[in-house]
Amino acid sequence: MDKNPYRSVKTEVLEVITETPSITTIRLRPSEPLSFSPGQFMEVSVPGVGEAPFTPSSFCGDHEKMDITIVKVGKVTEAIHELKAGDIVGLRGPYGHGYPLDEFRGKEVLVVGGGVGLAPLRTLMYSLFDMRGDLGKLAYRAGCRQPCEFLYREEIMGWLDRPDLDIRLTTDQCDETWSCATGLVTSIMDSSCVNPANAVGISCGPPVMMKFVTFRMLEMGIPPERIYLSMEKNMSCGFGKCGHCRLGTFYCCKDGPVFTYAQIKDIPGIWD
Amino acid sequence: MTFLSRVHFESLLKALGGTHKLLFPVGSGSKSHFTSIDRSDPGSAFIGGVRSVEPLKAFFFSGRERVASGFEPGLPGRELQPLCVVGAKACDLKGFRILDHVFLDHEFGDPTYKRLRRESLVISSDCTDALETCFCTSLDGLPYPEDGFDINLSPVSGGFLAEAGSEKGRALMAAHSSLFTDPSPKQQQERRENREAVLEKLRTIAEAGGTPGAESLKGAVARRYDAPLWAEEAATCVECGACNTICPTCHCFYLYDQMAQGTTGRFRMWDSCLINDFARVAGGENPRSRLWMRLRNRFEKKFDFFPKVAGEFACTGCGRCSAACPGRIDIRRVLRRLVENG
Repeated sequence: MDKNPYRSVKTEVLEVITETPSITTIRLRPSEPLSFSPGQFMEVSVPGVGEAPFTPSSFCGDHEKMDITIVKVGKVTEAIHELKAGDIVGLRGPYGHGYPLDEFRGKEVLVVGGGVGLAPLRTLMYSLFDMRGDLGKLAYRAGCRQPCEFLYREEIMGWLDRPDLDIRLTTDQCDETWSCATGLVTSIMDSSCVNPANAVGISCGPPVMMKFVTFRMLEMGIPPERIYLSMEKNMSCGFGKCGHCRLGTFYCCKDGPVFTYAQIKDIPGIWD
Repeated sequence: MTFLSRVHFESLLKALGGTHKLLFPVGSGSKSHFTSIDRSDPGSAFIGGVRSVEPLKAFFFSGRERVASGFEPGLPGRELQPLCVVGAKACDLKGFRILDHVFLDHEFGDPTYKRLRRESLVISSDCTDALETCFCTSLDGLPYPEDGFDINLSPVSGGFLAEAGSEKGRALMAAHSSLFTDPSPKQQQERRENREAVLEKLRTIAEAGGTPGAESLKGAVARRYDAPLWAEEAATCVECGACNTICPTCHCFYLYDQMAQGTTGRFRMWDSCLINDFARVAGGENPRSRLWMRLRNRFEKKFDFFPKVAGEFACTGCGRCSAACPGRIDIRRVLRRLVENG
């Protein structure tokens, strides 16, 4: 029996959490269990308004609930920001390939994020914490424009106390509430944070940030095949049919959204 | 191969019209379009000639289609009757190879397309002429089908030479065996002569236009990725998307949710990669913000992407895009400039 890949699962909004003035997290309970792995994305729809792709930001081991963190940038995200607990939305997915966690075993891991890119990376960090014993050194670098925009600020500040994590945070501009570094995220990517001979580098954030983070990782000596990037394109169907998210010979939705830099480095315009 | 007289052909169509939604071309010489049996009598069917104005994809992957209703788990398109398309040309059958590659996969296959392809009948026919915009032979195609049909009809005096190309086609011919008779050597000779004449006409058109062959196009888009020709060719593009909608292989669509009577309908609508917002993301970034980048994208998809992922060009040489373009962008001129470094 064929299934309908276009159909969304009825999903209840359990809670709406205001993260920053422009970013909101919705906690969702789908009426059918949906399991995903870090880096995979979902299509969220507001009935009658439309659909847009988002990567969950909660622990993937919870099959009952899912958090999705969303910046207000367009028609669908504006409608999502209007949601209240008890409202109904649609969920399809998960789609694409996430991070190959098994390949990270025995390796040192450097995770670098920026802006709302910290949302999918939170899911990844929960899984990395979960398999912490199987990893070498774990380093986390995060930044955003200003302290009031720092996503999950309290939670991530709490990670500063973790002895098993090498963590540094920065904001482009600082204010009196900010006690960490000031500057671009590349400025806190110190050469000694991981041993490039046995490290993987992971980056998620605005394209221009990922571009310079990638160059910095290459400069540190992490090879292109061990740099993982989460690419943002206009994913619509989610399974390689609608044609919107083509990236060279790939579709970002079905072949990504997580790619190694080696896979995509020769494709013109990847950072546009 | 057997002979089907024009009279018997019309009886066959009437019989098929009882079990399928029967579609056949009407019109004349250079212009024909598909109609259905509830609108026209099969007596008016025009088999032969050249490709129809509209691409065959329009019936299997329609321009606007409801693909989901609310959160209902059922499949869309249950009300759709299987099709029987009569008079499809070889270029449209080649279009199916690309659409099949896109829409027929196990995990995420498009349910409506899958069902229509599985349950429908395709009765194709030879071209008996070629348009000035036709260039199927430049891309290793032929003006008559060799595969991808259930039955193929080659027009000859008084009727058609019929050939089955699938199990479904053989079963159909067996079920109506009284309609088919042995062909005469003269009819077979007529078929050979028609095919040769159309091939010759296509050769003349290709030579006059300097249309490059398939071999020379391999890797050409990648080699000429930064060439000025893209901006020059895009100068007359008005971003109407006609080249996409008229193309038998263009498959891009967008999903559109619409609320009506308290339920949400999700519609799959044809999209066009020439339109500004096609690849734009909600944050505003647009990887193809300039029109010439989008024109190049169309050629990249057809002549670079599909050869790499599906092993063939996503262009059938039907020439519909050249005929439809209000900016007179001729796909053959772009291809010629690609290989001639123009």
